[in-house]
Amino acid sequence: MDTSMEFTLGLSQGVAWPWPIAVYLFFAGISGGALTIALALRFYLGQVENTAFLKAATLLSFVTISLGMLCLVLDLTNPLFFWRILVFYNLNSVMSIGVIALSVYIPLVAVVALLALEKELMAIPQLKFLAPIITKLKGFRRPIEVLVLVLALSVCAYTGFLISALIRFPLINTSVLPALFIASGLSAGGASAKMIAVWLFKEPLHSGEMKLLHGAEWPIMFAEAMFIFMIATALLTGNAGDQYAFAAFHEGVWAIVFWIGVVGIGFAGPLLLNFATSKHFSHSSRAFYMSGMCAVVGMMCLRLFILLAGQNYAI
Amino acid sequence: MSENIERRRFLKSAGMCSLMLTPLAGCSVKEDADSAHKPHYCMVFDQNKCVGCGDCKTACNQANNLPEGISRVILEQQSGRVEGQSCPHCSKMVCDCERKFVRVSCQQCKNAPCVTVCPTGAAHRDPKTGIVTMDASKCAGCKYCIGACPYNARLINDNTDVADNCDFCLHSKLSHGELPACVQSCKYDALIFGDANDPQSYVSRLLAVKDSVRIKPQFGTEPSLRYIPIVKQGV
Repeated sequence: MDTSMEFTLGLSQGVAWPWPIAVYLFFAGISGGALTIALALRFYLGQVENTAFLKAATLLSFVTISLGMLCLVLDLTNPLFFWRILVFYNLNSVMSIGVIALSVYIPLVAVVALLALEKELMAIPQLKFLAPIITKLKGFRRPIEVLVLVLALSVCAYTGFLISALIRFPLINTSVLPALFIASGLSAGGASAKMIAVWLFKEPLHSGEMKLLHGAEWPIMFAEAMFIFMIATALLTGNAGDQYAFAAFHEGVWAIVFWIGVVGIGFAGPLLLNFATSKHFSHSSRAFYMSGMCAVVGMMCLRLFILLAGQNYAI
Repeated sequence: MSENIERRRFLKSAGMCSLMLTPLAGCSVKEDADSAHKPHYCMVFDQNKCVGCGDCKTACNQANNLPEGISRVILEQQSGRVEGQSCPHCSKMVCDCERKFVRVSCQQCKNAPCVTVCPTGAAHRDPKTGIVTMDASKCAGCKYCIGACPYNARLINDNTDVADNCDFCLHSKLSHGELPACVQSCKYDALIFGDANDPQSYVSRLLAVKDSVRIKPQFGTEPSLRYIPIVKQGV
């Protein structure tokens, strides 16, 4: 019998995960990305002192992951139910594994930030009581940093795995997503930590460390663009459901977000600011901040596009 | 098996096999004792019989104490039209389209994505009946299950703020030995419910003789809801 049956109505209207979840994915990516870059750099250069970039990255990482958690909790149908997710576990669930990772990651990020910002915190008289704690933690600094580096990368990837488990949406249900989210987390996390290092911790704009970070920006951005291209071609050349979801790239408001936000601001912005302007301008602090902001805006638009355009094209 | 197998090798393999099978024998005895009878509850929706009266929705709402106007089952009208409006199928004001209805509700998958993704185990399979149901006291309201369901058949219950799905009235009717509320309320016998693992049940005998289909089988979710479609095209 060649009869099949379909229904298109559903019992839930609208998208299951609205924009606050995209903001959460954004914050988690920035947090993991900034810390991964800072700690990798620290290990690579064998640094022992608290550099301006490490201070900026740890502070940023702690603030963004906390804001991300706030978005997550506020998006629950009843935010007072959040304790249930901490008490009950299901190890088959990506989200449950993420909760375990985050509940180790967040306290350890606080510890890493505490150690990196020791001088700044001790300057505040009300925080003097932290001194014995910091002294005790110093002995475990290296193992904690190694663990945080692994967890920071895991958190970046986790946000990708979390949503790629939604099998109804071809744009989201792709194995490239965790890699894409790591790449975009590294580029935007690195850019925002750089900006804070220069602005708040007075890192010189052209220090050796900054030069190294500027150089790392382009290969990461290239990887990010390639992952997006891989997702797009996989949809375009895929089955009927995939081809239907490819319309996300050229139809509707999220296609505009993609082309203007992700491609225009996120990719073309930094490239033009750095290579299409005079050397005098491209080395100025204005170009530095503008290009950094472009990377951050591009990443936010990417998360919005993947999550919301993705949920609009269900098969 | 090859004919020129050596005797020594044959005896060796026979010995090995018996060694391997001995512990397995123990397992199978235990398993038999456990699964005296594992039911597989199935529902069949007969499109030929459904007239779209919506009694199933009302019964569902009442049986499960759901908010006004909300039910765990809805009907999709795929052709036919409301008087005075154009046909949703051919968009003509006058047409011969048949009125076809499809039940939209939890498909009770054997391989249920909602159960896999639920971070708290609130969406779970009832161990006794094998029915996918909810433990409302565990649900955090993250809506992961709603996004993960390939059928968009789950909803948030605004009375309880937690996720909800059709569980064949497991707690409200089935546990009291009654049929699901929608099945009881259907005046046209369009809904048939029973244990497909019991060869004597009506649902087993019906599925044995009727062609039925499942929705979106390509997802590999193995739904327990079966649909008998209208295949008649004309006179």
